[in-house]
Amino acid sequence: MKALPFLAIVVVTGLLAIVPFTLSAVMIQFGIATLLLATLAQGWNILGGFTGYASFGNSVFYGLGTYGTAVAMVQWHLPFAVGLAIGAAVAVVFAVLLGIPVLRLRGHYFAIATLAISQAMAAVISNLDIAGRNSGLILPLIRGDVMFYELALGLIVLATACVYWISRSRFGLGLIAIRENEDAAAVMGINTTWYKIVAFALAGVFSALAGGIHAYWITFIDPHSAFDLLLDVKLIIMAVFGGPGTVFGPIIGTFLLSGISEVLSSKVSGVASLFFGLVIVVAVTLMPRGLMNVIGKFRRRGWRVFSDNIRDNRV
Amino acid sequence: MGRRRRSRSRERGPAIELLLQVLANGVLLGGLYALMALGLALVWGVLNIVNLAHGALIMLGGYFSYYLFTATGIDPFLTLPLTMAALFVIGYGLQRYLLNLIVRAPMFNTLLITFGLDVVLTYLAQLLFSADFRTINPSYAGAHFNIGSVTVPLLRLLAFALAAALTALLAIFLTRSRTGRAIRATSQNLDAARLYGVAPRSLYALTFALGAALAGAAGGLYGMVSQITPYIGAELTAKSFVIALIGGLDNPLGVLVGGLVLGLAEAVGTLYIGPTFDNVISFGMLVLVLILRPKGILGRTA
Repeated sequence: MKALPFLAIVVVTGLLAIVPFTLSAVMIQFGIATLLLATLAQGWNILGGFTGYASFGNSVFYGLGTYGTAVAMVQWHLPFAVGLAIGAAVAVVFAVLLGIPVLRLRGHYFAIATLAISQAMAAVISNLDIAGRNSGLILPLIRGDVMFYELALGLIVLATACVYWISRSRFGLGLIAIRENEDAAAVMGINTTWYKIVAFALAGVFSALAGGIHAYWITFIDPHSAFDLLLDVKLIIMAVFGGPGTVFGPIIGTFLLSGISEVLSSKVSGVASLFFGLVIVVAVTLMPRGLMNVIGKFRRRGWRVFSDNIRDNRV
Repeated sequence: MGRRRRSRSRERGPAIELLLQVLANGVLLGGLYALMALGLALVWGVLNIVNLAHGALIMLGGYFSYYLFTATGIDPFLTLPLTMAALFVIGYGLQRYLLNLIVRAPMFNTLLITFGLDVVLTYLAQLLFSADFRTINPSYAGAHFNIGSVTVPLLRLLAFALAAALTALLAIFLTRSRTGRAIRATSQNLDAARLYGVAPRSLYALTFALGAALAGAAGGLYGMVSQITPYIGAELTAKSFVIALIGGLDNPLGVLVGGLVLGLAEAVGTLYIGPTFDNVISFGMLVLVLILRPKGILGRTA
């Protein structure tokens, strides 16, 4: 990376690390939620953006992280850090076990299989005594929004660093090769199964850590909110809006869209969801490859970039 | 639907009678499920779009039938063609002026845009129709008759019969009519179909419109046997999806089989494993089918 952009990133991150000491409680909470969502979007980006496997069930990792942390803290009285580690470990094991059969599927079939697994997991959890069945678990209360904010910020920095590494490494090139043409990638000697499983597990770890932090912050979890289908779709929208397969696209997408939906729900609370739906429809129609792609082309094509996009994809 | 109680009078009865009743319930429900999935499978097979707003279209069909019934009092089975026509128009417009713009974008884009549509339709419905539960209640809503020890609710039987009839009609349309053949040709090979004079823009719109009309019919029937709220869409989309996958996208009759399989599996599973597991059953089946038989139980998928 060139020196100037790198410096800019360090400065922005530094500023983000200081802001909670000056902001109102509401803004900090918005910040935590947005940072965690950005982590989820970044996790999705590893598999969906770089490898071309659009998972619609990343909430299964988020949920496992949530429950791993909560069960460790509530049932076994372990400290938070250990809980987080347990959640992440469970997610990795699950990613490997699940990845072996499911990553053989492609396209829509992979998307739906992951969606189904996440929903089935919700149903399994809501029948487990140790996880508090349908009524969920209540974690010990701790006051410290600033701490959670810094944790969430640290996590997104970690996730983004990982994605940056992927974007430049041999491993990442392998993933992109799989996205562009999996059979050709296999012929070139890439162990596609192994690459995909590692990408899946990386996505799982970050999602699970985000889930664990969220659980301790919110202090209450239940199967419905932990394995939320809406969350799956939301994080994909964030990543795709920003630019799948780019390093910063998912973060920019999350901050923009979260901001928009926050403003909408404070100004026009009754129809906020309606507007959000419209934003998705318009965004997907005008920029199917994300904001970063549009910005990149805008210099050359100006506003025509939108009509170009439509012409490329219409029938 | 989903969480049906065991029939009241049979708690002491022999287990075999209970099983027969449950099987009958499962079959009747399965027919309706199949009709729900038919439009989704058609659109998926031909346009390669998994329409996540399909359940929302079913929901709209339910409300359309409901308001037609409460406003005019005409039998809801008779007004079903009106509902289908309304949804046909909506579907045609959606595909012609919106979805056609992005059909060739990467796969998750079509999933996202239909999800966005689902959100829009759901909250539009909440705004227009309120979140109250609605049921279409014709005078014969409670009527039923017995075959041996098995109770058959009349409404469900009629819904089943209509669902089966529409499935058969679609199968005939796709194989016998010129338009139907054009649709199938497009699903097999768009470029080849183009060479033979098929205009994809309007044909895509027509296909989506047909799918929406079938969703409308399913919604009208669903409103008679269950309750409509603006939020039923997501679950119905998921179920339709499972069915389309089990049945394959080739053949409407496969979808009918898929619907029956899911209806039966849910009914039997609820009886023997417990009602809290019905989602595990349907999604578990989905994952198993995907892994073991990715081409559907009865043949080709897209």
